[in-house]
Amino acid sequence: MTSVIETRSLTKTYGTVRALDGLSLEIPKGGVYGVLGPNGAGKSTLFRILLGLIRPTEGQAIVMGGPIGDVKASRRMGSMIETPRFPPFMTARQVLVWLSTAHGLKADNSRVDAWLDRVGLTGAADRKVRGFSVGMLQRLGVAIALITEPELIILDEPTSGMDPPGIQEMRALIRSLSDHDGITVVLASHQLLEVQRVCDRVAIMNKGKLVREGSVSELTTGGERLRLSVKPSEKVLQVLGAKGSKEGDAVIAAIPRAEGPALLKALIEQGVDIDEARWVGADLESVFMTETGSVQIPEAIQ
Amino acid sequence: MTMLADALFSEAYRFTKNRMTVFWSVIFLPILLLVLGSAGQFFLKQKMAQITTDPHLPPGLLSQGPLDLGHSLVKLAGDITNPMLLLFVLIGTATLYAGDYRWETWRLTSARNTRANLILGKVGVAKLLTIAAVIVFLIFGFIGELVKGAIHGQSYVFTFGAREAGQFGLLALAGYVRIVQVGLIGLLAAVMSRSLLATLFVPLVVSIGQFFLMQTMPLFGWEGTEWYAQAVIPGLASDNLKSAIIGGAQSAVPDATVWAAAISLIGWCVVLLVGAIAWFQRQDLSKE
Repeated sequence: MTSVIETRSLTKTYGTVRALDGLSLEIPKGGVYGVLGPNGAGKSTLFRILLGLIRPTEGQAIVMGGPIGDVKASRRMGSMIETPRFPPFMTARQVLVWLSTAHGLKADNSRVDAWLDRVGLTGAADRKVRGFSVGMLQRLGVAIALITEPELIILDEPTSGMDPPGIQEMRALIRSLSDHDGITVVLASHQLLEVQRVCDRVAIMNKGKLVREGSVSELTTGGERLRLSVKPSEKVLQVLGAKGSKEGDAVIAAIPRAEGPALLKALIEQGVDIDEARWVGADLESVFMTETGSVQIPEAIQ
Repeated sequence: MTMLADALFSEAYRFTKNRMTVFWSVIFLPILLLVLGSAGQFFLKQKMAQITTDPHLPPGLLSQGPLDLGHSLVKLAGDITNPMLLLFVLIGTATLYAGDYRWETWRLTSARNTRANLILGKVGVAKLLTIAAVIVFLIFGFIGELVKGAIHGQSYVFTFGAREAGQFGLLALAGYVRIVQVGLIGLLAAVMSRSLLATLFVPLVVSIGQFFLMQTMPLFGWEGTEWYAQAVIPGLASDNLKSAIIGGAQSAVPDATVWAAAISLIGWCVVLLVGAIAWFQRQDLSKE
């Protein structure tokens, strides 16, 4: 099996709203796969369908080699959908024992302690979850996703509500799950910088459809731009026309790499003083903005 | 079977950690009844002591004979279906049936087991909870009888032959099935409404409705022993069963009525359970 998730023409409608609109997607085994999209793009709906929480209106999905709802296949994956909630009267340790039992696993203390340690909750193991912060709930959610030692983990907004050190730890954990444990991680996030840092491949969704898919390097390579530190910048902007924009003191030229030498020659001939000229890669944010046609920057990166 | 056992054990583990609910649904009422019952008997003893000082009364008029604890046990088994016990057991079953909607924890459990197993696991634990509540009720009730005897200075006898044992067992079983059946109304309410309050109150409202229906039956020309009346009103079926068991061979309740009553109670349990599973199978378990 080369793909862990495969969807074909997956559609989910709520009344007149099409949350998913004929989505066909193949997520390969191994690595960290990011699903990006603005609010309402259909990411959470996709994850909920993959986990069997909701039924698709049309289309089909294969997860770990089985159709949706196939319990044998589902037992090979772990998940965390948004900020998880737990029975408030239970401690973190009890939650792990409860879900280990529910998943048919022996819930011995050493195993539970190991996972609590891995997500940094050892000190809070015997505290009731009703007093947990959002970040702690997220960590416990990840521990639950991991306790069954799955081959695939689906994480919806895994860093939501976490402080910067927590985000960094979570990023390291996700990478180590993929690199050292060989688990395929599929995550949805609004934090584009985080996705760029942690994911190997990315799917960008908008209005329930897949608009772009590929490795992070593939997606960002095509959008290279020439960054120029020049004087006078107005003259350069005039030459570039619609292809030029100002970024601080620098001018950004959105031109193909092949046109670079000709542009520099033309600027020198016109007496422009060039301090520095270098190619900068496009980041995921700009690709995201282009592909989704977003006019506003998503909350998390404002 | 293994996956059903997973569902059952995990549900039981979680329920036992919910100590407040265990207290209210299993322990609170028997303790309350013991305390109130003992206080009532003590008050009665005081009043009787005042009366017996009256020189005009013949001596020994208010003295009591020995207390038959065997008969007390049979009477207690007949009281299992009392509305108070039903209410407090429903607190526990409502938490079991609607808890996952309230805490949004279906998303943690539903991917790794079949939906039918998840519901059956809950029903299994609800049955265990009911057994526990009934046993604690009987134990505390029995202690209450001992206290009553001690307060009134009665001697104890224990008449518990085959007849009493049979009555005790059958009354306890019929009462247990009746509580489970009312709880299953809560299960159906839980999956249809996703609400804890509805899970608690719908069975109560239905039970009260049945009580009024039983009072107004003659207006429809229904006899309490007819099969259709028992089929529509499981509370009536439960009462008929109780009368038949207490009456024994001398019971005025016809055999056909007893069978119809038993079938009604069990039939309602099956219909409610199957209905709840069928609804749950096609339910979206996520808020959108």
